[in-house]
Amino acid sequence: MVALARKTLIFEWRRFLPAVVAVGFAGLLQLLQAALVLGIFSSAGLYITGSDADLWVGFPGTQSVSLGRPIDPDLEMRLRMDPAVAAVEPFDWVDADWRGARDTGGQSVYVIGLDPRPGGLLLSRVLSPALRARLAEPDAVIVDRADTDKLGVGVGDVAVINGQRVRVVGVGHGLRALGGVNIVASLDTARRLETDPASFGRPTFLLAALSDPSQAGQVATRLRNDHAFGPYDVWTASAFSRRSIMYWMLDTGAGAGVVFLAGIVFLAGAVITSQTLMAAVAGSVREYATLNALGVGMRNLRRVVLEQAFWVGAVGLLGATLFGLLLLAFARSQDVPVVLNLPVTLLCVAVAMALAAISGLAAMRGLRRADPASLLR
Amino acid sequence: MSAPAPLAAPRGTGPALCAEAISKGFTSGKLRTQVLDGLSLSIDTGELTLISGPSGCGKSTLLAILSGLQPVDSGCVTALGCDLGTLDDQALERFRLLHTGFVFQGFNLFPALDALEQVELPLHYLGLSRRQARERATQSLDEVGMTPRMHLRPGELSGGEKQRVAIARALAKHPDLLFADEPTSALDAANGQVIIDILHRIARGHGTTVLCVSHDPRLVHHADRVLSMEDGRILSDRRPAPPALLSRGATA
Repeated sequence: MVALARKTLIFEWRRFLPAVVAVGFAGLLQLLQAALVLGIFSSAGLYITGSDADLWVGFPGTQSVSLGRPIDPDLEMRLRMDPAVAAVEPFDWVDADWRGARDTGGQSVYVIGLDPRPGGLLLSRVLSPALRARLAEPDAVIVDRADTDKLGVGVGDVAVINGQRVRVVGVGHGLRALGGVNIVASLDTARRLETDPASFGRPTFLLAALSDPSQAGQVATRLRNDHAFGPYDVWTASAFSRRSIMYWMLDTGAGAGVVFLAGIVFLAGAVITSQTLMAAVAGSVREYATLNALGVGMRNLRRVVLEQAFWVGAVGLLGATLFGLLLLAFARSQDVPVVLNLPVTLLCVAVAMALAAISGLAAMRGLRRADPASLLR
Repeated sequence: MSAPAPLAAPRGTGPALCAEAISKGFTSGKLRTQVLDGLSLSIDTGELTLISGPSGCGKSTLLAILSGLQPVDSGCVTALGCDLGTLDDQALERFRLLHTGFVFQGFNLFPALDALEQVELPLHYLGLSRRQARERATQSLDEVGMTPRMHLRPGELSGGEKQRVAIARALAKHPDLLFADEPTSALDAANGQVIIDILHRIARGHGTTVLCVSHDPRLVHHADRVLSMEDGRILSDRRPAPPALLSRGATA
């Protein structure tokens, strides 16, 4: 078979370039947008995905980690009594005001109190054991390396949180969060920084590790139905992470914005691509008409146009992928939160190919003018 | 390609094309122009028939109707024993695929394909294997003297060479009917003569019924039969005496 679609695409590449670029850019935008959104919103679940806890216990109805309320400290004993629970750790969340060493004004920060001993659950995947161990020192805090300028501090500097002096003992990576700056401290330090009387001595969450993590769902259900310790709820880590991310995606309106933008990108890409393909069909309409005169069916001619659309999509996506990888690597190097997983990548690829296919279908209309009788004059 | 092949009359028996009382008109705005009005015609198998006449006399419309590219308003067209009026679009495409070749005034070659690929392209749709298609295409290009240049694209060929490739493309299908519309009018004298010789040889050598529309007077001496048209009617129908140099071969 003579590869008419491909040969034409290569020979007349200048004619098809706008379509390739349109598909490529549409794909790239969708991909980067998805990576950014995933990156930004998965930071809402950072405390959960970065920790080794299987269960999270918090105030009933808590929609996101950042919206936790104090719970009864005696719950820790209730959890320890359950035979499936291997370890329990309190998590203190303190909304606080930061004054840096350099003059950066006030900053609203989240102080995260964790157990700095080896085997601690909270943020165990984000902070190295050595770094965590430094928090054992009184009034020691760790900040994210991307936040040092904003906070006006470096390692060894002294800052003030809620009027109390703290010392930066190290910088971590991957601690950036939505809505504020994460400052990591030990539980003792965090409790000293607490100014809200209602929270004194009361953890915001309790984290539990199970001896058999696969039982998390059943254990959560079992622990949930005990009302002797005041209001609380138990979630598996994955459920609570999803809950936090969905809260930011949907309840903040950001998700709708993303979908809207994706729609606009799709539309713009489809218009440019279909117009370019249509122009290419129009440019070859006499040749197509001749083939039809010779008996090559319209169905076969449509297939040629669709195949061209497919190649336009494939080449555009290839460019988008290469360019996208470069941009993602650059974003990572600049601590911009970008995350891509396989299902979302495949979805973006599918959307870009759908764009090419729809453009091809639209361009097929141009074949209507390929009437062989019009070649006779 | 799954539609049943329309029946075709065997070569050399009776008329290849037959038109009975065909009429065709076009409406442009409020104006109705009758191009053909009750025209009847029969074209014999294996002959080179030339239709000539002034612009707008209806000769191209007649060609479009006889080749199944346009339907008639009234009347009946039979090609190779098959009533074209009874075929739907797909069956007509299938009929054209199996039985007809076309040569147009514009060469209508794909810029991206070389001469060999131009000729091979329609053959694949006939269901020929890659090897068979290659063989037929090579043979066909050889017949029009284009073998040495079969790997060149249209942009690298002269007008006459492009028309020869277009003829090879039509010829490679081994059509029973070959329709040519002003095949020489875009060419200079020498190239026009080459094309005329090739068309003549196709009718003679392959027994193909060649119907050619042209106002090129050089073609008249090569035609078996010349029909002169004016205002949608056939004014004269004659068989010119064969010229002395009939056997002159095509030169590449």
